[in-house]
Amino acid sequence: MDEFDFARSVTVGQYIPGTSIVHRIDARAKLIAFIGLLVATITQPSYIANVIAIIAVVVIVRASRIPIGYVLSGVRPVIPLLILYLIFNFLFLGNYDPTGSAVLWRQPIDIGPYHIAFTVTDNSLRQTVQGVARVIDLILLASVLTLTTTITATAKAVEWLLQPFRRIRVPGHEIAMVLAIAYRFMPTVAEELERLMKAQASRGADFGSPGAFRFVQRARQLIPVTVPLFVSAFRRAEDLIIAMEARCYVGGAGRAPVRLGPLNGLDWSAMAVAWAFALALSATRFPI
Amino acid sequence: MNETLVEVKDLWHWYLRGTPLQTPALLGANFELVRSEIAGIMGHTGSGKSTLIQHFNGLLRPHRGSVRVLGADLGDAKTDPRPLRRRVGLLFQFPETQLFDPTVGDEIAFGPRRLGLTREEVRRRVRDAMERSGIPFEAYKDRYTFGLSGGEQRMVALAGVLALEPEVLVLDEPTSGLDPRGRRKVLNTLRSLHDEVGTTLVFVSHNMEDVAELVQRVWVLAGGKTVLQGPTRQVFTQVERLRELGLGLPQVTEVAHELRARGAPVRPDIITVDEAAEALWTSSTSRAV
Repeated sequence: MDEFDFARSVTVGQYIPGTSIVHRIDARAKLIAFIGLLVATITQPSYIANVIAIIAVVVIVRASRIPIGYVLSGVRPVIPLLILYLIFNFLFLGNYDPTGSAVLWRQPIDIGPYHIAFTVTDNSLRQTVQGVARVIDLILLASVLTLTTTITATAKAVEWLLQPFRRIRVPGHEIAMVLAIAYRFMPTVAEELERLMKAQASRGADFGSPGAFRFVQRARQLIPVTVPLFVSAFRRAEDLIIAMEARCYVGGAGRAPVRLGPLNGLDWSAMAVAWAFALALSATRFPI
Repeated sequence: MNETLVEVKDLWHWYLRGTPLQTPALLGANFELVRSEIAGIMGHTGSGKSTLIQHFNGLLRPHRGSVRVLGADLGDAKTDPRPLRRRVGLLFQFPETQLFDPTVGDEIAFGPRRLGLTREEVRRRVRDAMERSGIPFEAYKDRYTFGLSGGEQRMVALAGVLALEPEVLVLDEPTSGLDPRGRRKVLNTLRSLHDEVGTTLVFVSHNMEDVAELVQRVWVLAGGKTVLQGPTRQVFTQVERLRELGLGLPQVTEVAHELRARGAPVRPDIITVDEAAEALWTSSTSRAV
């Protein structure tokens, strides 16, 4: 692993060209299908439902023909958070479980004058497993969606989906534009960050760890990177504004509406399968 | 005497290695640098120049092949590149975008302060680096960095690396985007650094005039491979090969070639304006006589 290779760990915002079935679904249908799947996979209280949800998500990743290792690399950065979540759940939710569910395991620890305990209750275990599963589902689904859809297609789909809400003054076009620009510049900013860290390291900067809890030192270490990063981000934003103004961009008002082709059989069946799965999963009562 | 400082053999490097977007940047590049020389790396955009030089101070590690810098083997994962970065300075392309400190003096002092030097030593280094870069110390040390012109910012960034007093200084297209005066300033600074301090320089450029003026030995990259190498004058005689690589020649060399093609008795290895003037003068006077 190279010391400064950030572009590799940024999987969100990348697009990987391909011809898989997931790539071929129209962005509008894909968005609607993914919304259904997202809602269904992250609202399941049951263990079995969560396992089914994860299997479904993995099937979709496989169908997209994107190496699962690459998609999973998007999960890696949140692992410390998940571990923290695990510890906190067993520390607080386990000890002060409002539902009063059965205690499965308990380990008291004494740190000096403090007596604490890790407690796993039926309810806290359930919540923890769900939490972790949800985060993973969410990242995998979001990654597959962005990895298989171009920014332009996503932006147009968002604009199209928001069209009915124009009457209540939802600025659909502007939201889509903001999304597209934010997406577009994520890899650029990652590249810029990499370039700056390398440049400052070449001038003697050291981005090693000063110790886990020395936040001030850590923040100070990053000043030579964050300041130029913001300077160039603002400069880039200004350039972009001028370029858009020069092409007479005025936002959605008075602009011809997006015209997208009709949805085909694949698109309709993708939506139907996704929502049928979502409703079935939510309607079924699982024993555990 | 000819101590080898950097030795690159059959170097391969891939960007985004291990992802579906993996792209090769270097496919067997070679390079060598001996003490006190000015080496040049040429090649058109995307030929792997910037990737190659990032191996010289351990910013990138070789994926295949070997890189030895000042006796350290960078292919060995246990080699700590940080001590190396103090001895091999690297100035990135458009270095003015890396400035961060509000005052010029503090900006340049960033590197020396990281070295744990005394206050006086840091001050001396900042003063030396500024004077060498043509920035008056007293007048500029408290100036607002972001209020300087682009050319001045470039010189401040250069001074920031000079203040580390590296043995080897690697510069990635240091003159690109500068006006003639700015370009002259950079070239003069580098020339004096080499002649007076004895710093070994690696100069990356696709400006043939700059290379002709400054560089003693040239390495030409194309498609991630070293395709030509040798003394500058000798490389510039390979006209057809250079054109094929999309590189071209210094304008005076082009003129000399055109004149020779039309039968004028001009030396074939002219690479600077002075040489061209001299050659034209002798040929015109000899014909008159």
